[in-house]
Amino acid sequence: MTVDSFAEPWILWTLLVLHVVAIPLSALGARRDHRLGLGIAAIPPLLTTIWTVILLAGSAEPFTTELLWVEGLDVGFSFRTDSIALLMTLLVSGIGTLVLTYATGYFSSSSAQMPRMTASLLAFSTSMLGLVLADSIWTVFIFWEFTSITSFVLVGHKDVDASVRDAARRALMITGAGGLSLLGGLVILGSEAGTTSLSELEPITGGRGWIAALLILGGVATKSAQVPFHVWLPGAMKAPTPVSAYLHSATMVKAGVLLLAITGPAFVDVATWKWVGLALGITSMLWGGITSLRHRDAKLILAWGTISQLGLLVTLLSVGTAKATFAAISILFAHAIFKAALFAVVGEIDIRTGTRDIRELGGLHRTMPIATAVAVVSGLSMAGVPPLLGFAAKEAAVEAALKLSGIDALIVSTSIIGGSVITVAYTTRFLLGTFGAGPDTSVAPRRPGMTIATTILGLGSIVGYIAMGAVNNIVRPAAIEIDKKAEVYLLYRWPGLTTGFMVSLGIVAAGVVVGAFILNRVDQPAPEARGADMVDSGLDRFLAWAPQPIAAIQHGSLPVYLATMVLVALTATIPFASDIDVDTLVLWDSPFQGALALAIVVAALAGAFVSSRLGAALTLGAVGLGVSGIFVVHGAPDLALTQLVVETVIVVGFVLGLGHLARSFPAAHATWKSVRMAVSTILGVGVALALAASGSNPSGTPPIEELAEAAVDEGGGANIVNVILTDLRALDTLGEVVVLAVVAIGILALANTRETEANA
Amino acid sequence: MSVSLLVAIAGLTGVGVYMITARSLSRIILGFSLLGHAAVLALLASGGPAGTPPLANQNDPSTIANPLPQALALTAIVISFGLTLFMLALAQRQQNLTGDDLVEDDLEDIRIARMATDDDDSETEGVES
Repeated sequence: MTVDSFAEPWILWTLLVLHVVAIPLSALGARRDHRLGLGIAAIPPLLTTIWTVILLAGSAEPFTTELLWVEGLDVGFSFRTDSIALLMTLLVSGIGTLVLTYATGYFSSSSAQMPRMTASLLAFSTSMLGLVLADSIWTVFIFWEFTSITSFVLVGHKDVDASVRDAARRALMITGAGGLSLLGGLVILGSEAGTTSLSELEPITGGRGWIAALLILGGVATKSAQVPFHVWLPGAMKAPTPVSAYLHSATMVKAGVLLLAITGPAFVDVATWKWVGLALGITSMLWGGITSLRHRDAKLILAWGTISQLGLLVTLLSVGTAKATFAAISILFAHAIFKAALFAVVGEIDIRTGTRDIRELGGLHRTMPIATAVAVVSGLSMAGVPPLLGFAAKEAAVEAALKLSGIDALIVSTSIIGGSVITVAYTTRFLLGTFGAGPDTSVAPRRPGMTIATTILGLGSIVGYIAMGAVNNIVRPAAIEIDKKAEVYLLYRWPGLTTGFMVSLGIVAAGVVVGAFILNRVDQPAPEARGADMVDSGLDRFLAWAPQPIAAIQHGSLPVYLATMVLVALTATIPFASDIDVDTLVLWDSPFQGALALAIVVAALAGAFVSSRLGAALTLGAVGLGVSGIFVVHGAPDLALTQLVVETVIVVGFVLGLGHLARSFPAAHATWKSVRMAVSTILGVGVALALAASGSNPSGTPPIEELAEAAVDEGGGANIVNVILTDLRALDTLGEVVVLAVVAIGILALANTRETEANA
Repeated sequence: MSVSLLVAIAGLTGVGVYMITARSLSRIILGFSLLGHAAVLALLASGGPAGTPPLANQNDPSTIANPLPQALALTAIVISFGLTLFMLALAQRQQNLTGDDLVEDDLEDIRIARMATDDDDSETEGVES
């Protein structure tokens, strides 16, 4: 069996369906025991991981597959399995499997919220999988929004806590707004590039180019927590740690970066793309790192570090050189592994010691040796120390930064080197503060699920370094997918004594010094991002204000709604008024027609202004008679007969139905009456004009003779109208009969309830 | 196209809209009936000029009126008949329940309007506590 027999669309669809099916099943399982639920939830990601590894190992031929809903618009689901999609799938499903394993230890008792947590974790995993595999811009948008919504549910896990609810709402609002911005950008991009497929994007230019660039960057910056849209991420740390490790370090926050990478080739000629991207990336890289140094909560140190690392990725991708792109993809891969491991360790510390404050923690290397080892390995990988995967990736970034020239070199290279120093500094402070000297913390027993997952994640950074060839096979094709020129680059275990290596040494040395110096010198913990309060109070004010305009527009009067609707509908006819050809108009087909039309209008007007209900019903009868007359004159005896019968029944029904009602209509408001008159007049004239316009431009001659022949030959009847109804359109007529039957049943039901209600 | 027919259609549409924007349910039903007539006449008018009845054995196909809109109109008449009777039954029911046949403001919208006039904080506090 060759690898290509695994590169089949049906396998991909089966895996996706399996994910969806497992969501309710995992919730059911979690009601019995949370480990059972999480176990069920882990199966689809595990299978997906295995499938991805097989495809990657065999360098399978990429394929695209789609399920179209609206064909002309390319609306539907469409997926691709190119290298970058597979790389992301490996992270999403691989880390997803580990996080679900970890969660079996993290959540101790089977609380009432576990079914929701389990199902939401898998739902998120499914959305993320769909997002990274998506090929059409519509599919991207749909799954992008799914990740925002599932993330909202996951962050808001402890929903009894008001601050948790606020954090969840903030995350949803910011990423949701970014999603709308992204949709706008993708629509412009799609229409400019002439394709909805991400794998076929062509470079776009011009004014629309930079509007699309800004809108897409809006989506990227909100999802990937770039300053100043980062305020939701520290708040989202209120989520349980498995959620933080999965969503807020390894996968969801990478979605923005992924999109930046994939759509980047379309914006090579748009300067806005590069400079706004650089501004976002550099600010986030530096500000995130500096703020990280000011925190004492280990989880927040990591969260701000993530903002910084995401900033580095955005910077590297925005620079746009092939080498920088290659470095970005490498760091993206390495970061997902070491940051998930670090979060997992912090979660374990939190659960087993009850605190995350680095001043209270100490001596953990004795009490929690495995966790310490994982943290040290992953931390050093983050700092870029050999022999770890993070070192090779960081080397690539430093090399890329040194290769830049001109203004890029001045700004970008300095920032990247500065950002790297800060990274080493907060890593040092994190490791020393958490595991170094300090009061011995009492520690609860180890839980297998957590230990297994953290160990595997920790080993990832070592194995990645040893099996550098395999990592290259994953990372390099993905980088080439974005920039063809990236094929000359490789990750090295040992680069030799290059300038880049020397610079790296300097970075590590400077960072260690800074980190150790700041270690316990933070007296005042950094406040929660000030923007968070602004976002919250802004939302509160908006929600308090919203009922006013809504109450003004949506005031509850149905007649006003109706009048507004018909008036709006009328505006659609205005453009056609100029199409009227006066020559096609005749005064009447026969004088009778003219007289009857006049009688109808008079009777209708009388009906509108007569105050007695009985009188109004009788004028309706008169109108009906008039219309029957017009049918006769027009040459439609069947219609005339039907109309007579129908009209009689309705008038009788009306007179009976008026029963106990007051004889006269209640008086109406005078102003409203004149508004209604104006609207009705305009609408009546508008409809007549639209009809005249359509009559002026007939699309052809009616096939009357063919119909006459068909009636006799096929229907066997001479009355053409009857043949059409009972033969040519028989099914339609059957439907009509059904409608009448349903109406009759409805009327019976309504009439029969009369007695009981009256007695009640 | 016959201007007489257009006048009749304009009149029926105008009066119909005027009546369905009223508060009294029985007027609204009358209005729907008139709109139904307008729609049927519009179908006829757009099908071509008047002619002889479309009976293939009696009249020459070159003189008969277009039969297709007539078939469509017949369906329209019957459906609007059903609609009118059903609305009459509804009006009857409302009359039994409330004693009159007036269309009230939408309850959900009235609730929103009350939110706007109430003290701004009361809603959010209600959620928090």
